[in-house]
Amino acid sequence: ILEEADFKGEDFNLFLVAGQKCLEDGYAAQLLEVIQNEKNKVIIKNMGWNLISPLVRCIFLYEQEDDKREHCLKILDQLAQLCNPKELFLGLLEQIEQTSGEQVCQTVLLLLQPLQTVLLKLQNKKAYSVGLSLAMIMNQLTPLPVPYTKQQIQEDKFGLCRCCSAVVDFAKPFVNEVVKNMEKLPEYNDTELKEELVKFCMKSLKYPLLTAQLEQLEGIEEHPFRHFAAEIIDILWDIKELMPLVFLHRNGKSSHWENQEFADIEQKNFADSLACLSYLMFVHHFGIDNFPMVFSPSYLLQCNMTHIEVLLKRTEESVLSKGIDLFESCLLRMEDNSLLHQYLELRDFINVPQDLVKVMTLCPIEHMRQKSLSILQLFIDKFDAEGKYTLFKCLLKTSNHAGVEGYIIKNIKDQIHLSLTKECDNIWFTGHHLISLLDLVLSLPEGAETDLLQNSDRIMASLNLLRYLVIKDCESDNQTGVWTMLAKIEQNFLKPLHVGLNMSKAHYEAEIKNKKENRKEARSSNTICSLTVSGEKMPAMTTEMQLQVLHSALFTFDLIESVLARVEELIEMKVKAAMDENS
Amino acid sequence: MTTDEATKSEGEVQAAALAERGEDITPARDRGVLKIIKRPGSEDDLPMIGDKVYVHYKGKLANGKKFDSSRDRNEPFVFNLGKSQVIKAWDIGVATMRKGEICYLLCKPEYAYGSAGSAPKIPSNATLLFEASKAGVELLDFKGEDLFEDGGIIRRIRRKGEGYSNPNEGATVEIHLEGFCGGTRFDCKDVKFVVGEGEDHDIPIGIDKALEKMQRGEHCVLYLGPRYGFGEAGKPKYGIQANAELVYEVTLKSFEKAKESWEMDTKEKLEQAAIVKEKGTTYFKEGKYLQAVIQYGKIVSWLEMEYGLSEKESKASDSFLLAAFLNLAMCYLKLREYTKAVECCDKALGLDQDNEKGLYRRGEARLFMNEFELAKCDFQKVLEVNPQNKAAKSQISICQKKTKEHNERDRRIYANMFTKFAERDAKEAASKTGVEKAAEKAACEKGPKTAGAEGKEAEGHV
Repeated sequence: ILEEADFKGEDFNLFLVAGQKCLEDGYAAQLLEVIQNEKNKVIIKNMGWNLISPLVRCIFLYEQEDDKREHCLKILDQLAQLCNPKELFLGLLEQIEQTSGEQVCQTVLLLLQPLQTVLLKLQNKKAYSVGLSLAMIMNQLTPLPVPYTKQQIQEDKFGLCRCCSAVVDFAKPFVNEVVKNMEKLPEYNDTELKEELVKFCMKSLKYPLLTAQLEQLEGIEEHPFRHFAAEIIDILWDIKELMPLVFLHRNGKSSHWENQEFADIEQKNFADSLACLSYLMFVHHFGIDNFPMVFSPSYLLQCNMTHIEVLLKRTEESVLSKGIDLFESCLLRMEDNSLLHQYLELRDFINVPQDLVKVMTLCPIEHMRQKSLSILQLFIDKFDAEGKYTLFKCLLKTSNHAGVEGYIIKNIKDQIHLSLTKECDNIWFTGHHLISLLDLVLSLPEGAETDLLQNSDRIMASLNLLRYLVIKDCESDNQTGVWTMLAKIEQNFLKPLHVGLNMSKAHYEAEIKNKKENRKEARSSNTICSLTVSGEKMPAMTTEMQLQVLHSALFTFDLIESVLARVEELIEMKVKAAMDENS
Repeated sequence: MTTDEATKSEGEVQAAALAERGEDITPARDRGVLKIIKRPGSEDDLPMIGDKVYVHYKGKLANGKKFDSSRDRNEPFVFNLGKSQVIKAWDIGVATMRKGEICYLLCKPEYAYGSAGSAPKIPSNATLLFEASKAGVELLDFKGEDLFEDGGIIRRIRRKGEGYSNPNEGATVEIHLEGFCGGTRFDCKDVKFVVGEGEDHDIPIGIDKALEKMQRGEHCVLYLGPRYGFGEAGKPKYGIQANAELVYEVTLKSFEKAKESWEMDTKEKLEQAAIVKEKGTTYFKEGKYLQAVIQYGKIVSWLEMEYGLSEKESKASDSFLLAAFLNLAMCYLKLREYTKAVECCDKALGLDQDNEKGLYRRGEARLFMNEFELAKCDFQKVLEVNPQNKAAKSQISICQKKTKEHNERDRRIYANMFTKFAERDAKEAASKTGVEKAAEKAACEKGPKTAGAEGKEAEGHV
């Protein structure tokens, strides 16, 4: 073995230049021999950082089966063993930092092993270096698209799936180190490495897990992202951070982080990660074995509401669907009518159904709209009568969508039906409480000027409800109170509806007449405006199509009118019958 | 017999024993929760509602299968008693336990997870059994509920209120209260007031805050830290010194809630905004900033997210919001919460970008936060809006002075640092000159790289 003292400055330089030349000219085998030579141990110690860059370049140059590639890999291995860990660490990190695009995963996969070897040898600032490595790796991976369909996952074009599992393996020895230290000293409070690992887990939960498809897939035995999720949760559990994270919001602050700055960032940035964590636990049951099984379902829902809100505010299908699934899984744990109305005092309980309504009305993906509607119904079902009452009131006031309003009104009708047919005493859907709700329902938002076409869903539902009330509830019983407020209903609803119908019909009929007359004259220039839907220009409507639309509007008005006539007829009959009885 | 069968039959035996000899502890007397005490507790005290309780437990299904154990997790399970955080059987069962007690519980599904079950471990309509050879449920410890997780208000509930609804900010409450300080009673009265305005009746802010977590008919003891009591000012009227700890017994007799934002229409919100603005200003003038924040905060919560206003309404709304943000900023300055003050100024400036007060107050807040450059910018903008503003002029010179001082201090610190670095570098250089030289030569070929690596190492040191 040649000692450091045996070398002169020039020798280092010479060695280096020779080494680089070997690599460039394809003499990897020779270089390997030199490096494996015990004699050169000392001089190699300081070469790591300089050799790593050309070495990595070479490895990517050669084909998979090339012997030279094999030699290069062995050199890499040797370097990791022999070189000064601090220098090589920086060299490796620099390589990872410099790759981009399709090479990211290849590079990461190649360098993780030596990086781990080097980190384990580091004496100082190990926690910091591990954190830096993990953060760098995750940051480099983040721009890559997350494979979503089964085919994409199997193909794993950019190697992300393989990378994820490799990164977990990379982190494991450090997890074990924390675990060992905690076992040795239960009061072990060197949170540095632990903090870095938590940061890594949080980052992984946000990317790729938040956007990944995590349902079981047929034909894939080891679903890479499910595997990754399970590993991440295991890490959190092993370092005893899982429960504190799941109940972070319950404790208000996480006081155990010394670093206040970290605690703040954590609160803001980790909202997504924590939501994903909850999703994994409650929907896919990862880590549920360690979860206390004595919490009440309503409390679990309450805890998850914040997460559900975070997820429902997003628009990506992968994230939105996680929110909906988490909401569903929490609701399915509850019995119908068991959720106390007081929960609606919590802001989330009012916000989430409103967000759900937004998904129902604005989301471009149809099955999401349908699913969210069914979840809204599930949510309604879980509340006690007063809760349902308050929720209806809130949704009527906030939804701004005739279809949703119509749906709520139908729900109100169902609740009234239950109160009238069952013997149970339900004060919320009869009597004076109901009157104040009916006040909201049986009215036109803007009187006679209301756009009847736009609001037809709501108006039809209201008329149906009124018809039901008039048939079901006799004037003598007046359980629902509808007869008391009849005058008001006529004033606020029926009369303006008549006026509105007459105006609208006249308007549309005139329009049709107009169109028909103009048809012959203005063949050429009949585009008044153009419409673009998601960037594509819709074909201009022909006069025929316009006529068709106008006719269908008229048809809607006729429908409303006929139900309206039927309702008024019923009211008249009942009033008359009651008067006859009295006289 | 396999182990599985063994535990199963063992479980059945214990379940049978519980069913036979267990005491029915349900208020409804429907045998939904049966209890046998295995080891009596050491103290007489029972935990009170809302108390933070620490328990160890092991739970099994009727078929003997273990579904959960806190002992496997190696840490006690913690929850607030009587708050529906846990299954009904537990809220009922643990409330009957004394510190150190161990008991067995048999819980019918109606008092556990009912017909819905709890995926994946608890099937539909499952009876739960909390028992084991050593411990079923063990109550380790309990203590009063820390309402805001800051130790400032500790509550212990003597009598639980009805229902679950709480007064909100702005609700009108009728309470009976008795105040104690150092064992002497200084206050005892029946009083009706609006939550957030207790100060009008010499009631400290902590009571207002605690009331928002109380239910109708609740009787509790509140332990208030000075921050939630009469604070630095004390209360001469009652002979209370600065920073005194207080104990209150409060009964919430009745209350009427204030309307939630979504329950009010725009007209109502605007009318109310005028009223609370007045109230806030009164508090502010009296130096009661916490109370003033509550009043101004109402305006923000009502109007900030209000859409679809007519032109006239929107003008009125904006002017209320602007006033509210400006006044909130002032309050936060007084309360030394500078980040919040800056936030409020930002919002005010969002409504009126050249608002003199907004700019000035943001400048003040930033000055307190040692952001001299930003503060100076704000004061300069004030002068652009109103060149006559003398206060802003003098603030600018303060900023400059502080920047200078700050820079000098920095220079001194760094100077020290650099000398130290230099010394250390010299030592290192001496020890391995050879390597350094080689690297230097290599640098001719790959100059920029070396620089990059050094940069990184430096980062590592900071």
